[in-house]
Amino acid sequence: MLKYLLKRLFWMVPLLIGISLVSFLIIHLAPGDITMTEAGFDPKASEESRQKLRELYNLDKPVIVQYGLWLQRMAKLDFGTSFASHQRPVFWQTKDKNGNVTPGMIQEALPITLLINVLSLGLIILVALPLGVISALTQNRLPDRAITLFVFVGFAVPGFWLALLLMYWTGVVHDWLPISGLHSQDAEHMHWLAYTWDALKHLVLPVFISALSGLAGISLFVRNGMLDVLHQDYITTARAKGLPEHTVVYGHALRNALLPLITILGLSIPGLIGGSVIAESIFAIPGMGKLFYDAVLMRDFPVIMGILTIGSALTLLGNLMADLAYAWADPRVRRGVMQ
Amino acid sequence: MRDSLSDLSHVAALTVLLAVCLSACGRAPIEPIVNYDLEYPPEYGGTMIDATRGEPSGLITMIAGESAASAVAQNIFSSLLRYDKNLEFEGELAESWAISPDQKVITFKLKPNLKWSDGKPLTSADVLFTWRLITDENTRTPYASDYKLVIKAEAPDERTFRVSYAEPYAPAVNSWAGLDILPKHLLEGKDINNTPFARNPVGSHYYKLEKWRPGEQISLVSNPLSTQGVPRIERLVSRFIPDEASQFLELMANNIDTMTLSPVQYARIFPARPELQKKFSLYKELGNSYTYLGFNLKRKPFNDARVRKAINYAIDKQELIDGVLLGMGEPVASPYKPGTRWSNPHLQPYRYDPAKAQALLEEAGFRKNKDGIMERNGKPLSFEILTNQNKQREMSAVLIQRRLKEIGIDVRIRVLEWASFIGRFIKTGDFDVVLLGWQLAIDPDQYAIWHSSQQAPGQFNFIGYKNQRVDRLLERGRMELDPDKRMRIYHEFAEILLEDSPIVYLFAGYGLQAIHKRIKGIDNPAPPAGIGHNTQDWYIPRPLRRMEISQ
Repeated sequence: MLKYLLKRLFWMVPLLIGISLVSFLIIHLAPGDITMTEAGFDPKASEESRQKLRELYNLDKPVIVQYGLWLQRMAKLDFGTSFASHQRPVFWQTKDKNGNVTPGMIQEALPITLLINVLSLGLIILVALPLGVISALTQNRLPDRAITLFVFVGFAVPGFWLALLLMYWTGVVHDWLPISGLHSQDAEHMHWLAYTWDALKHLVLPVFISALSGLAGISLFVRNGMLDVLHQDYITTARAKGLPEHTVVYGHALRNALLPLITILGLSIPGLIGGSVIAESIFAIPGMGKLFYDAVLMRDFPVIMGILTIGSALTLLGNLMADLAYAWADPRVRRGVMQ
Repeated sequence: MRDSLSDLSHVAALTVLLAVCLSACGRAPIEPIVNYDLEYPPEYGGTMIDATRGEPSGLITMIAGESAASAVAQNIFSSLLRYDKNLEFEGELAESWAISPDQKVITFKLKPNLKWSDGKPLTSADVLFTWRLITDENTRTPYASDYKLVIKAEAPDERTFRVSYAEPYAPAVNSWAGLDILPKHLLEGKDINNTPFARNPVGSHYYKLEKWRPGEQISLVSNPLSTQGVPRIERLVSRFIPDEASQFLELMANNIDTMTLSPVQYARIFPARPELQKKFSLYKELGNSYTYLGFNLKRKPFNDARVRKAINYAIDKQELIDGVLLGMGEPVASPYKPGTRWSNPHLQPYRYDPAKAQALLEEAGFRKNKDGIMERNGKPLSFEILTNQNKQREMSAVLIQRRLKEIGIDVRIRVLEWASFIGRFIKTGDFDVVLLGWQLAIDPDQYAIWHSSQQAPGQFNFIGYKNQRVDRLLERGRMELDPDKRMRIYHEFAEILLEDSPIVYLFAGYGLQAIHKRIKGIDNPAPPAGIGHNTQDWYIPRPLRRMEISQ
């Protein structure tokens, strides 16, 4: 098992380099660079000044040389500094000799996105599992139909539209929840309990909206998985042996129906850090989705590469973890891995 | 089937019941009954909250070029000069300024006893330091070119700053109104590109930074040592809310005091909602840019002035203003803001006249072919309008396409992302017609845009305009520091430009602003400089302040 793990980890290195090279080339294939988006259309900015900027950013060098420079830094796990944002570090904070700390961009955005996505994943599992099970157990009856309707609505309703509707209803019509942002105006002066309560209130809508489509998808997934399993011979055998229904359903059927869910959860790890541009823009949340979107529009190459590299590494790790979890849960797979 | 239908109706009934119950359980926000329309005497204090779509990347404007940065920085840093409400120069840090008889030397005299917000004195050494900083080769700024023309800068005493130019350069005065003066004692010897000062600045203007919550908001508090006096509103908060609809919801919920509205919000939503009218005043002022259709003059048939004029006559500008801006804009006939001295009041935009357009095309040798398209030497009059992802421009392009179709011109539309648009098409000159915008300049110098020498890749005369008379006027205009003589030069320049029609002026939109009625002291109607010219005199009467702020 350890050998398998080491082998998988070892192969990640060339894979990551390959991914980063392709990403780097594709990003640089798009026309335009930071000097063009910053002051590309301002007559007060002369072409000579922009050329000078390009030299200072190393953008005048061939793409492959720029990639080499980037790789050199990456070997030391240095993600570089942003072009656009006063050379802020892309990943982690830096400290100058006077002790001034400049926080990293991903360092600031990641915990927020992670928190929202972990909460929404928790919500998805908490709600979708029972919904899927109930739906399967009451196939073609009222609860199943109601849940199926909910699933379709969850898929069909555009998130941004529902978000605005809920913001209007809970924030403007009724003063229940804050509309956007992460903290209230006077959050700094609050007792820590009030501060936490305030932050939680701000998170309700973003978490709900980002959970919505996942909720629909996973409950449908659980329902179908359960239905498959419930029609298997061993379930009929278990029932024939006179086992109580809840043991059949929860002890035998559910455990087996949930196996594929492990893969899905493993694959959702990169999604946890990716963030959503739309939800983060609507709720004014400074998360990873918005950071990446802004970086692409600005042609802020170090930030784009930083996020892509971390994203790819996590995707690979997520895959590995899903495989391992699957092997742990399913002896048949485990035997395959060992061989 | 019946069963499933009845099941569905049960579900629907349940949903409705739930919705009604939830609505009934809700409580309407309790708002104190205050009359916002009463007159109140000016007083100090209170907080004004606004919303911006982007977060500044830093507050040193020579490096952070974006508008979000200058919107905040203009409250923190001062320049030598500024514009008054009629867009004429007045001193900010400078008490006076004098131009030498040969127009090559400008001497600024600073006001006495100027101070930075940390209490240190602000002297001409700071101005000299800032000039050195922006012209330094290692400073990552695209805005150095105006300042690099200075051949000698000196600070002979604490209150005098003098710059010399090789040639008289009229836009120089304007450039000194655009340079934020930075403190030498905090930045000397530091790397300006990478300094914590950008996120923790010390300035000399009305406000100083109180707190920057990354990704959320910046709050400024009044600076008691301000070089200009103390502003009446004590605290300014800018929240970063990228989505316009969310901003509007925050405005409706009373959480922000002011925002820039879209034409739909201004012309449709506000008039239909009395509760909003009770709380907010609406302001409109002419914005700072105009939208135009620019021809690639190096390509046929746009090298023919008759074709350009025909297209100009064939476009109904009022239709664009009504359709795209819901009436919230004005036609323009020169690249200068109407109402300022640089705008030639005698110029009129081309009126909508399809018959004249048709006649001009026929005069240029075009005839309609069997498909109804104008054609010359077997070549149909057909071209592509390129524009970037901007809803107003896209809608304008569609309306223009329809109007041009009516006189037999076949138009295709292509919409591109900004950086690709500039890099792939503008820089290479590979386009027929572009739909874009330019600033309605405060300084009248338009050399970079219209002089025939400015056509290299990356320069701004990318449409390839060439007119010797215009060249000479532009050259004279930048050498002339006397405002009246300068005005006559630019009036003539604008007249030739309109006659030549290298671009079709489409419209200049209004800036539409909703401001909470708790904020008093705003000039309405707006002077040429806009309603924001006297924000230091705005005030919030104590009874109208928010609860959390008047504590």
